[in-house]
Amino acid sequence: MIEFRKVTKSFGARTILKDLDLVIPEGKIVFILGMSGTGKSVLLKNIVGLLKPDGGELFVDEHPVHRLDETAMMKVRKICGMVFQQPALFDSLNVFENVAYGLRRHFDLGEEEIIRRVQESLALVGLKNVEQKQSHELSYGMKKRVSLARTVALRPKILLFDEPTTGLDPISTNRVNQLILNLSKDLGTTSVVVSHDMVSALKVADHIVVLEKGNLLTQGSPEEIRKSHIPLVQDFLAEVQ
Amino acid sequence: MQVLKSLDSLGSVLIYVGDVFKESAKSWSHREEVFEKCLSVIQQSLATTLFAGFFVGAIMTLQFTLQVQMFGALSYLGALVTSATIREVGPLLIAFLLSGKIGAFTSAELGTMKVSEQIDAIRCLGADPLKEVIVPRFLGIIIASFFLLSFGLILSFAGGLLMAVQFSGLPWEQYIQHIPQVVSGFSVFSGVVKCLVFSIVIATLCTYRGYTVLGGAREVGEGVVQAATQTMIALVLADWFSSFVLEGLFNA
Repeated sequence: MIEFRKVTKSFGARTILKDLDLVIPEGKIVFILGMSGTGKSVLLKNIVGLLKPDGGELFVDEHPVHRLDETAMMKVRKICGMVFQQPALFDSLNVFENVAYGLRRHFDLGEEEIIRRVQESLALVGLKNVEQKQSHELSYGMKKRVSLARTVALRPKILLFDEPTTGLDPISTNRVNQLILNLSKDLGTTSVVVSHDMVSALKVADHIVVLEKGNLLTQGSPEEIRKSHIPLVQDFLAEVQ
Repeated sequence: MQVLKSLDSLGSVLIYVGDVFKESAKSWSHREEVFEKCLSVIQQSLATTLFAGFFVGAIMTLQFTLQVQMFGALSYLGALVTSATIREVGPLLIAFLLSGKIGAFTSAELGTMKVSEQIDAIRCLGADPLKEVIVPRFLGIIIASFFLLSFGLILSFAGGLLMAVQFSGLPWEQYIQHIPQVVSGFSVFSGVVKCLVFSIVIATLCTYRGYTVLGGAREVGEGVVQAATQTMIALVLADWFSSFVLEGLFNA
């Protein structure tokens, strides 16, 4: 479970998250929607400690993330995998080494087990025979899938996705949505997906949260969101219709 | 306000240097990456450094020839050129060149890694970017720059000698005749110390500027410009300061 208690985050004079209270239940797929600049990505980065809250408390399971130092955060990052908005592949490494990167650092695994986990993770995202390719040889969609495989390879308990379907074609979008569903079903993963994509949210999410100006606007099941009369939610729903 | 901002910036650089040196002391396990970076920096910059070093010596000879001829002291040409080149002009000019070449490349590379979230990804995947990304580059640049600067100085001597023989009509024996009288062991030591200090300045500022970029492509560009200009200013200040300290040491 992830719990935000009155979390505040500012950059200079600009407040991004304002006293945010939010609970993300275990084993669920939660989509976080909102306009650009409402603090969706900031929210994810606070969970993995890439940013620190200025105020309030933030818990990931029993870990008080708001007061952990960089060394203690490693335990949280082992259970919390993050898929970034950009593929963020390491240019100097091939696909295999990119996917194996976290496995080599978070776990003490033998080379055979690493090879097995890398191949399994690449297969999960629908990629075959790309292990030896360099990142510049891949299309943008393939890079995003390798990035997803790199995170999935760690078998995290919680998966954080920062706009996972942005820039993908409809087939890849469906594949990613299906993957989020499968991971949640097969491994019991909690998934937090930051997105603008209401279509994917209604298809995949167990719970949808809508943010506005760094605060919670509304939340509910996809059915409850469909029935919402809030103008911003209506605007997002117009995309579906 | 600007003064406070500059002091704040200087403080951040000093904290960064402290952290990097602390990590560098524990970086034996990253020796292969350090060696790799060192080789890649040398490969990138060897030709340009040798070219620049050679012509620094040649230009100095050209300039001094006109001066010493006026006083009928052409036989002191080699001593004057070598002294000025080794102690002052050589290290500084070659360091300027390296700051443009290595500094721009490294700050752009690190800045791009930062804005494309690769640095964040490294942290999320259980590694420390300071250890994995910065330290190998930092140490690699220091070792490579020191080697390049020293080699550039040797080539500057060769450039000076060749120009003296070809342009000034001075036999090579006369060119080197008075060098031991003017260029002491301390002069060579000064040159070497400056090469080391300049290498640390280049490695610090170009990695720091790249590593602290925030934003997008525009900010990476700004970071590269800042790295280049601040490194040059820092090199001049480091030159003045090290000359001051070394002279004090010599006179004491």
